[in-house]
Amino acid sequence: MKLILSYVKRHLGMYIAAVSFLALETIAELLLPAFMASIVDVGIMGKDISQILRYGAIMLAIALAGAVGAIMRNVLSSRTSQLIGFELRGDIYKKVMSLSFENIDNVKPAAIITRITNDVTQIIQFSQGIMRMILKTPITCIGAIALLIIQTPRQFPVMAAILAISSLLIYSNMKIGYPRYSILQSKLDRLNTVSREFLANIRVVKAFSAEEIESAKFQDAAAGLSQSSVRATRVLAVFGPLINLTVNFGIILLLYLSRSQNASEIGRLMASINYMTQVLFSLGNISNILNNAVRATASANRIKEIFSENPAQQDGALVGGEAFDGTVSFENASFTYSGASRPAVENITFRAEQGESIGIIGSTGSGKTTLVSLVPRFYDASEGRVVVGGHDAAETNMDFLRRHIAIVPQKALLFTGTIEENLRFGNPSATGGDIKDAAMAASAHDFIESFPQGYNSMLGQGGVNLSGGQKQRLCIARALISNPKILILDDCTSALDATTESVVLNAIRSESKEATVLIISQRISTVMRCEKILVMEDGLMKGFGTHSQLMESCSLYQAIYSSQIGGKAYV
Amino acid sequence: MSDGLPPQRRGPGSFVRSGARAEKPKDTGKTVARLWKTTSGARKGFGWVLLLSVLASASSIFSPLIIGSAVNSIASGNPIAALIAALAALYVCDWLVRFLQAFFMAAISQKVVLRLREALFGAMKNLPLAFFDLHQHGELMSRLTNDIDSVSTTLSDSLAQLMVYMFTIIGVLAIMLASSPLLTIASAISIVLVYFLTKAVTKRTRLLYSDQQRFLGKLNGQIEESISGINIVKAFRREEDMSAEFEAMNSDYCKAATQAAIISGFLMPLTGVINNIGYLIIAVSAGILCAQGRISVGLISSFLLYSRQFQRPFVDIANIYNNLQSAVAGAERVFGIIDEEPEPIDAPGAIELKKPRGDIEFRNIHFSYDPLSPILKGISLKVPAGTRVAIVGETGAGKTTIINLLTRFYDLGSGSIILDGNDLKSYSRESLRKAFGIVLQDTSLFGDSIRANISYGNRDASLEEIISAAEAAGAHAFITRLSEGYDTVLEQGGNELSQGERQLITIARAVLAQSPILILDEATSSVDTLTEQKIRQAVLMLSSNRTSFMIAHRLSTIRESDMIIVIADGQIAEMGTHDELVSFGGRYSEMYQAQSGE
Repeated sequence: MKLILSYVKRHLGMYIAAVSFLALETIAELLLPAFMASIVDVGIMGKDISQILRYGAIMLAIALAGAVGAIMRNVLSSRTSQLIGFELRGDIYKKVMSLSFENIDNVKPAAIITRITNDVTQIIQFSQGIMRMILKTPITCIGAIALLIIQTPRQFPVMAAILAISSLLIYSNMKIGYPRYSILQSKLDRLNTVSREFLANIRVVKAFSAEEIESAKFQDAAAGLSQSSVRATRVLAVFGPLINLTVNFGIILLLYLSRSQNASEIGRLMASINYMTQVLFSLGNISNILNNAVRATASANRIKEIFSENPAQQDGALVGGEAFDGTVSFENASFTYSGASRPAVENITFRAEQGESIGIIGSTGSGKTTLVSLVPRFYDASEGRVVVGGHDAAETNMDFLRRHIAIVPQKALLFTGTIEENLRFGNPSATGGDIKDAAMAASAHDFIESFPQGYNSMLGQGGVNLSGGQKQRLCIARALISNPKILILDDCTSALDATTESVVLNAIRSESKEATVLIISQRISTVMRCEKILVMEDGLMKGFGTHSQLMESCSLYQAIYSSQIGGKAYV
Repeated sequence: MSDGLPPQRRGPGSFVRSGARAEKPKDTGKTVARLWKTTSGARKGFGWVLLLSVLASASSIFSPLIIGSAVNSIASGNPIAALIAALAALYVCDWLVRFLQAFFMAAISQKVVLRLREALFGAMKNLPLAFFDLHQHGELMSRLTNDIDSVSTTLSDSLAQLMVYMFTIIGVLAIMLASSPLLTIASAISIVLVYFLTKAVTKRTRLLYSDQQRFLGKLNGQIEESISGINIVKAFRREEDMSAEFEAMNSDYCKAATQAAIISGFLMPLTGVINNIGYLIIAVSAGILCAQGRISVGLISSFLLYSRQFQRPFVDIANIYNNLQSAVAGAERVFGIIDEEPEPIDAPGAIELKKPRGDIEFRNIHFSYDPLSPILKGISLKVPAGTRVAIVGETGAGKTTIINLLTRFYDLGSGSIILDGNDLKSYSRESLRKAFGIVLQDTSLFGDSIRANISYGNRDASLEEIISAAEAAGAHAFITRLSEGYDTVLEQGGNELSQGERQLITIARAVLAQSPILILDEATSSVDTLTEQKIRQAVLMLSSNRTSFMIAHRLSTIRESDMIIVIADGQIAEMGTHDELVSFGGRYSEMYQAQSGE
């Protein structure tokens, strides 16, 4: 709620204006019966048609004022809530862009996406609801009761009692309903999860003939949702009619108390009854208020989680202009992921000279990717130092640092757009020639040219219309285009067959002779071509040196070598 | 936001349609009839609830009349006790009827939801893999969640609401006409005005909404991409560009949405205003009639109340109609899925495959996903039981397709596959699939405990069996290091584990399933060679005396297979043992040399 309020505050002027116009509209509606009362009491009782027409004219003026109010509050409320949504989306997006990798690991990209899209929409709807409908209920109630009391002060105790009972009922409705609607929401999430998993894992479900297991899971989730739906809507089924009954009895009491009333005040009685029905109709919106409030609060809480993330890293002061070579040097560097019990990499010390290629090999989960993530400051070493291009990475400006480093990640990820736009992602100012050179080096030129539109071919979301190997080659080309001083290849040739991989790696070498290249690979044949090789196991560096050095000194390296090349080592 | 409409719950994906104009169903009558049939049994009591709805309209119809009489009595100084008692009775009945109606409706509509949802899932789970490969999962998800909700809740609630309104309108109109035709005409003016207003507004909003949807689609696409690819964005320092792109789309969307909201938002307040004017027309004309002595004061009171009773149904009916239309359209989409061709049912007399030996023969098989580009062009191959077969070839050569055909995920174009002397089609599908233990490159894990994940193919396995399967797969060590061990729940479907660890779990799953024929489709591509070696040992142990198929890029993985098949251009290019193929000096030896760096 606080979050929503803080955005409302930014547009407080417009908000207040919208609510004022809403009040104008509501009051106009309420005043009509008051003048209708005058028509009856003055015009009809006095048999004076000119009075009737006079009050009619006043009513018309009021109705028109109400129209102005209605139109204005509509324009204002639409604009304000869309603006709030616009700002909220923008703020979340900016916040996310400013977060460190560690924060993003915490929040998870999928969760961020639903927050910017669905949750913001909920809040827009709520905010619009407040200005359009929700506040109308209290304004109508208060206004109607005030007018009732002014016109017939005798009715005050009755009205007070009706009001008290209704408020109590509404309060109970909210109190009992809110937690049930919250449960409902969580059951809905559960159903979503089960459906998503079923769809994502359909191949395995079919392979294991586990359709019935999934069916049981789904039925369980669906039944849970239905049950909590019934529980939630029944609260309203109990309270809604009760509130109606209370107000209706107000009408009966009004009539009863006026039973011996002076006939000249009959108009007022009619007006009073009218007020009561207006109150009745406006209370009909209670269920919507409840629903909206539950959803908006849940959404706001989820959004708040993002805002409460503090960037895990401070940007360094060291900026551009300074010399930057391709050296990478780890000095006793360790890194522990937040929440992890032990370091992902520990006490790593090695040095890569400019232009050198370093192969990194080791078992899955041994910390290879974490190790290279410290170079472009995706994470900062928790202990020790990582010196990149001659500067202590932790004190270097990230933008400056990353300008000189290109990375090809394990997961080949491309964006919607043409192939050229995707390649240019690595360097917005690249010329057509640069792009072609890079694509050639990555062995991507030929298949790109084979598409009817060549470099202008559109890629679907995530590049769905390419094979895994083609995507990887485009990612490599994208990295080469930025002419990096340091190039990091994170096991990015796994989907290439061996022949293509070999061609690509040779081309990379000749294309960027100056660059320091860090290559993570599972294939011993790939790291063997590097000048030096770093062997990782369980976050520790088990060896660093040339192939022949390691073949002599590093038993782990020997084991990997024989597992892949050294004959039938394991039969 | 009119009351009486169902709470609209929204899951992922639904924002796309929220606020959009109602879609038009193709064949309302047929769809509704089918809905009626599908939900038979689940909607018991629905008729009673509708009847209650009719009763609920009684209070709207009669209370203004009684109030009017009471006003008349007061005006003329007559006692009103009887009238008040009647009114009180009417209100109490109204309360009871509304309560019962809402209370039972809650249960009935949810029963219908459940029935439809189960019917949809029941149909979906039997659809062939091709269906899931062709459709976006997000879209299918919103069928399972939002569509079903909107279909049944809207249909049941709207139907009840519609009944109330219809009876209210008919009843109120009858009484009004009987009391004063002239005033009835005066009341009708506002209704006609509202009708034209609604028409004018919806005509304009249709375009605006489609604009809004277009911008929303673009914006959501941008968000989805840039956030899921945020690591790349940051690595290439494109935060500013992405933010600028986002800002532009965000502001485009905001403009379109504001316009649509303003125009469509005119409907409700203007309707209110027109009703106010209607109210004043009644007040003035009734006042004049009354002053002339042609009607009683009480009738003014009744008419003023009726005008309020009257306006609401008319405003809401348009809304309800739209909701009903989109609900029926949603039902059509749901039925569209239910009507998809399921995996063909087993032929009568299908053989239950039990403990197959694993003799497999491919006889001249052809297959294509798309008729224009055939994938397999005549593969013939004999695999004696117990053979370890490896399939290699470039991406897209059709390696996985062979597996898809073997497991009957897809059915053959032409040719046949013979298992243990019988055509695959002669076995019951379930028993056939149980014969295969499959490990895929995409690790499919569920948001359940590790234990449940491993025992996915063999629910009755004991913890000891699960642990020994995990040990055989080399997964035991890392599982015991997790905080909860085998009971650790994979909250994010396994994303909290490394790719290699996930793969080890799926291998343990296949080990535990104890299937006679093993299939490993790039199963070890993402684990390192040492881990792979451990897995290999497990697999070798498992595959002794079992037929196994292994697809791999890494040739070291498959070196000691009994039979290596090189697929190229949809055909078998080379076939033999590792040594034979290396000395043959063809594609295989080329690939091998490139990989081993020799």
